[in-house]
Amino acid sequence: MEFLNLSLGQFTALFGAVAAFSVALYLLDRTRRKQIVSTLRFWVEPGKAAPVTRRNRIQQPVSLLLQLIGMALLLLALAEFQFGGRQNARRDHVLVLDTSAWMGAALPRLPNRADATLMDLARANAIGWLRAVPDSDRVLVVRADALATPATSWEVDRRNVARAILESHPGATALNLSQSLQFASQLQRRSGSLPGEIVYVGPGRISTHESNNMSLPNIPAFRVLAIDDNIENSGLRSVNARRSADGAGTWDVAVRARNYGRRAKAVNVTLNFANAPQGARTLDLPPGEEREASFTVHTRAAGILEARLYPRDAFGADNYAALELPELRSLRVVVYSNQPDAVRPALMSDPRVIAEIRPNAPFMPETGPEKAGLVILHNFRPPEIPPGDVLWIDPPVDNPPAPIRMRVNHPEGLRWMPDQPLTRGLRARDVQIETTSVFEPGPNDVRLAEVDKGLVMLARVSADGKNRMVIMGFDPFAGAMRYELATPLLLANVLRWAAPDVFRDRDVGTQSAGAVSMSVTGNLPVQVLTDAGVNLPFNVRDKAVEFFAGESSRVRVIAGNSERVFSLTLPEMWDVKWTPPASARRGIPAWNDALRRNRDWWPFLAALGALVLIAEWIAYGRYSPLRLRVARPALERAA
Amino acid sequence: MPNLPHEPLLEREFLERLERLAIHWQRSFAGLVGGHNRSRFAGGGQEFLDHRHFHQGDDLRAVNWRAYMRLDKMFLKMFQIEPRVPVRMLLDTSASMAAGTREKFTFARQLAAALCYVGLVRLDTIQVLPFASQLREGQVSGGGRQRYRLTAEFLEALQPGGATDFLTVVRQYLNEYPQRGLVIVISDFLDESGCEKALQFLADYGNELMLVQLWTDEDRTPPWSGELDLTDAENGGHLRIQVDDEARRRYTEAFDVFSAGIKEVALRNDGKYTGLPTSMPLEDAIFGSMVRARSIA
Repeated sequence: MEFLNLSLGQFTALFGAVAAFSVALYLLDRTRRKQIVSTLRFWVEPGKAAPVTRRNRIQQPVSLLLQLIGMALLLLALAEFQFGGRQNARRDHVLVLDTSAWMGAALPRLPNRADATLMDLARANAIGWLRAVPDSDRVLVVRADALATPATSWEVDRRNVARAILESHPGATALNLSQSLQFASQLQRRSGSLPGEIVYVGPGRISTHESNNMSLPNIPAFRVLAIDDNIENSGLRSVNARRSADGAGTWDVAVRARNYGRRAKAVNVTLNFANAPQGARTLDLPPGEEREASFTVHTRAAGILEARLYPRDAFGADNYAALELPELRSLRVVVYSNQPDAVRPALMSDPRVIAEIRPNAPFMPETGPEKAGLVILHNFRPPEIPPGDVLWIDPPVDNPPAPIRMRVNHPEGLRWMPDQPLTRGLRARDVQIETTSVFEPGPNDVRLAEVDKGLVMLARVSADGKNRMVIMGFDPFAGAMRYELATPLLLANVLRWAAPDVFRDRDVGTQSAGAVSMSVTGNLPVQVLTDAGVNLPFNVRDKAVEFFAGESSRVRVIAGNSERVFSLTLPEMWDVKWTPPASARRGIPAWNDALRRNRDWWPFLAALGALVLIAEWIAYGRYSPLRLRVARPALERAA
Repeated sequence: MPNLPHEPLLEREFLERLERLAIHWQRSFAGLVGGHNRSRFAGGGQEFLDHRHFHQGDDLRAVNWRAYMRLDKMFLKMFQIEPRVPVRMLLDTSASMAAGTREKFTFARQLAAALCYVGLVRLDTIQVLPFASQLREGQVSGGGRQRYRLTAEFLEALQPGGATDFLTVVRQYLNEYPQRGLVIVISDFLDESGCEKALQFLADYGNELMLVQLWTDEDRTPPWSGELDLTDAENGGHLRIQVDDEARRRYTEAFDVFSAGIKEVALRNDGKYTGLPTSMPLEDAIFGSMVRARSIA
């Protein structure tokens, strides 16, 4: 037994004061009263002496006792007396409300509400359970999808809890049940009160990965309000677009669809790009299986690629996916060379390079509106150095862009400077340089390649960063070096250095939100960016970049020279249905169960105290109706 | 509560209902002709009663000359008289009538006013005589209903006070009003020395008694409990007493025995008795209890 509002000392002091006051009033009320009467003759029996009065004695002790009992009951109600002590004290319950994407599925049969969803059913169940919770208990609502998010604090006010329940909506991710239940269990342990129930409301659809690694915490009072979700659904799992290897303006598109229902289905997948049909495929989907349809889209322009699944079903969120294909960009290169046949094969091999080879004389400077992305000066120095990015190949000895210390034939000891993007993938043993200039480097020059005699390749950036140049002291298109692998690699590095966006390998894909994983090769720098350019936290583990997107968004993953754009517009779906443990309670507790568990005794104590006081007044009150009722018939009989 | 000056003792509607009533008595009294109650005495009435032999000195106008012609004997025709009987009302104004609340005193004055109005309507003359330890100056109520206002004003002006002494009052009454008649006594009959003997005197002197006993609820079933310091309203006597349910029961029994004694006095002398609690509405008291007791009809 314990009091919630008062300590035992406070209760004792309060009751003592009230009891003393009541007894004093009682004695005052029961003291001798003066009364003027018509006659005294009937009070004294003939022949008998007048009755002797006895002062200072408690008269009608039952009346006083009833008054004290009534007061004690009212005080117990005020102190919120409870039986059973802490075992029956206020408890804290956690309501884990499933807000996964699947909760947006429409219910098939509800005549009064055609647009009712699983979420509506879950809300109704949650409200029903909330009504059965004892009023003194606290409730915390956790919205559970891929993340467990508390929607309220520990609340006694049922209106706030109900508002949080009604404001819960389906998210974009799948349910991570074990994480949600562990979170709820932690909240309960840290609440400071006695743990109550942890209630999960939802259909219990989880991923295969979670099902295989399910680790539910030890929950003493676990209740499951299962939502029946026998709904036939098939949906898109992913849409991936990749540049085709055999064509510059071709995308290979793969659309995967899955049947989540129990019956085999034949679905149609259609693909549109910029509102133009690109093709349609029919997929036979056995129950629980996934199939892929391939498409080819020819375009160099940017646009929206849309995939649709027919026929439409109860869950429409996964019947449509869209992704934005980027434009196929190119780099315009102007080459000033008197050996076009030597230079052309290296530049024409990449369709993203638009090369224009001009002779050294007469010199034709860039005057048009279309500015070249890179100017290559092959054994040539123009009258004026063109702005922008310039590649100097074996510049003339007179008036070179960098001071030449000497010319060296068959240099030895070639070393490519590591950790430079311009020298990535180059190995010294593959290079046989016939002759080269050795430069005198400036203080801000970046050293790229050296021989025993000195620096043979460097990079220089102007102070404002607008003009960059790479100076090679040797000619990679001359001699034996033109047949070596180092020449196209070196040129490719220069091209990527000049326009990294153009030469980045792009993959575009649409898949579900939530946890996303992308494999990467090598130990490359990785960036994960949203459309707004905000860095998302990520993790690189087992040669894969992992990040989490809690809502529909578009995310770019840049790893080295490759970029993948994720249009996370599809809802994250489930794989299997979770089976609650046998020890879990099920369903909404009955009203009599709620009454039995109701530990609020104060209303009953208050009512009982009032009844006792009313009974005392009826039995002993001076003007009680009982006394008047007894006296009136006697009067009437006498009349 | 004292009546406010503008508050009449009886409402007009109630007075109109009283007009169909009449005060009745059982005995035959000698009196002036003109009343409405028949008398067994012969006299100058209108309705034939009997014949008797003529005696010297009888009025020759009453001789039945037809019988004389046929029988050659003189018979005298006798007629039934309707005498105007004196009706006097003794109204208790002692302090006990106003003990606690004044409802008993007020009820008594209202009842007296109602009976006076009944008499006025029937052209009876009722003399209202207040009393406590002795008779006070009275008021003659007669002459028709238009004279009711005088009676009502007299009753409204009465004030309670003094101890009840029935024996003194009766002696005084018998001395002042030797003519027999109907005596209406409205009182609580709470006389320390007893009232039965005085009432018997009244009856023995040929008066017909109509006793109306009034009591409040507190008089018969006191609601108090615990220790009480009781004060007699008339003589100021004190009594400290412990009151419980048993004491209250004995009190009520004693009161009922007292009331039965008064009733016995009335019935024993061919009178009428009516006991009225003041909690009873006046209309019920008159049209119910008093009509059933044949005090009025």
